[in-house]
Amino acid sequence: MTIKVLGPGCMNCRTLEQRTRDALTQLDSQASVEKVTDLDGMMAYGVMRTPGLVIDERLVWQGGVPTVEKIKELITANVQASR
Amino acid sequence: MKEWVKFTLLASAFAIFYFAPIDAPIVLQSISAGLSLLHEYARLHVLTCLVPAFFIAGTIAVYVKKDAVLQLLGPTTKKYIAYPIASVSGGILAVCSCTILPLFTGIYKRGAGIGPAVAFLFTGPAINITAILLTSSVLGWDFAIGRLVAAVVISVLAGLLMAALFRDHDRKNADGEFAAGLGGDVPYSNFTILAFFLLQLAILVVFGLSVDPALKAVIIIAMIVAVLGIVLFKFQKEHNLEWLRETWDLTKKILPYLFVGVFVAGIIEAVIPQDVVTALVGQNTILSNAIASTFGAFMYFATLTEVPIIQKLMSLGMGRGPALTLFLTGNALSLPSMIVLFKVMGKRQAPAYILTIMVLSIIAGWLFGELL
Repeated sequence: MTIKVLGPGCMNCRTLEQRTRDALTQLDSQASVEKVTDLDGMMAYGVMRTPGLVIDERLVWQGGVPTVEKIKELITANVQASR
Repeated sequence: MKEWVKFTLLASAFAIFYFAPIDAPIVLQSISAGLSLLHEYARLHVLTCLVPAFFIAGTIAVYVKKDAVLQLLGPTTKKYIAYPIASVSGGILAVCSCTILPLFTGIYKRGAGIGPAVAFLFTGPAINITAILLTSSVLGWDFAIGRLVAAVVISVLAGLLMAALFRDHDRKNADGEFAAGLGGDVPYSNFTILAFFLLQLAILVVFGLSVDPALKAVIIIAMIVAVLGIVLFKFQKEHNLEWLRETWDLTKKILPYLFVGVFVAGIIEAVIPQDVVTALVGQNTILSNAIASTFGAFMYFATLTEVPIIQKLMSLGMGRGPALTLFLTGNALSLPSMIVLFKVMGKRQAPAYILTIMVLSIIAGWLFGELL
């Protein structure tokens, strides 16, 4: 599983990255977290309102900072969906 | 920051302290003018205007349903809906300045096209709620409303013009979902959210009224209690924490730069001779508006710092027309933003956009100076 955090590097994007890492730690997951900061890269996923969260190349969230609990839900839901 | 950059900064700071004529009257005057303007802002504007404004902006960031607005900027929307929506939505969609460019690129490349995208790009920074509220607190309601109306009108005109010039570039890319999977919706009634928003706005407005201080205090405390009531009994903890976090993020992002900007504005008043300002931008002529427009287009103003700088330029004799022109281009354009525009829009579109904005701002400033 690869997770990408999309955002140009403002406060909200960094908060989302931190929370995603926390969520992964709580889930005992080894998934890698990448940051996508260039506009073209973000557009490729259709993100318009940063920050965005991409799990296994699918955009699952954009336009706000979800809570750690919500991120855990998103991760579990999308991993099961891809199986 | 790279190590050599740090070294250069430190070395130049040292050189300034070493060589600067610290005892010269002009240096002492500048520092004291800077400090006294900071004092004025701290006394008059921080608690009564900026703090409520940051909370209001935090409310917008957490509670306004943005996906509905964004859907209206999609590729299938009618033009007469897309333009007005684009020109006002900057106020609710782009509370943080770094969200403007992704939104612009998205509307441009996947959504309603270059016209509405340009309208959004121009008004996004100009009609942000904290900027309008601080302008009215410092310079008065006429300026705040003039700034708001001029920005909205110019954005639609600039958008229409760009769409007419570059029609063939406007190929719609309708594949894939537009603005799907947006987060941030909350399970409260519109009425509760509206009441929450209006109560905070009312606090700020009452602060500005000139009524009996005791009465004012009673009203404000009552409204703060009402806001707290909604926070404690209506909203969930999770959303309240988000509200505080957004407010705090915004404060961290804006307030330090504003303090520096206020200090610099104070220095400007002490350093720039009054006759230079009156000669260049004192009258409301096309030329003086053009000077203000060009200066604003290249100069970079951090969010909100345009307010103290224009305030001090006006106290040195800048006319109302050129002041409004400077508000319009100062926010929308800067040398760094021009470079980004060239990359995102292209070599032909970017200069066309920049010139359009500069010319329309001159006209708007001139009209404002003549009529009001």
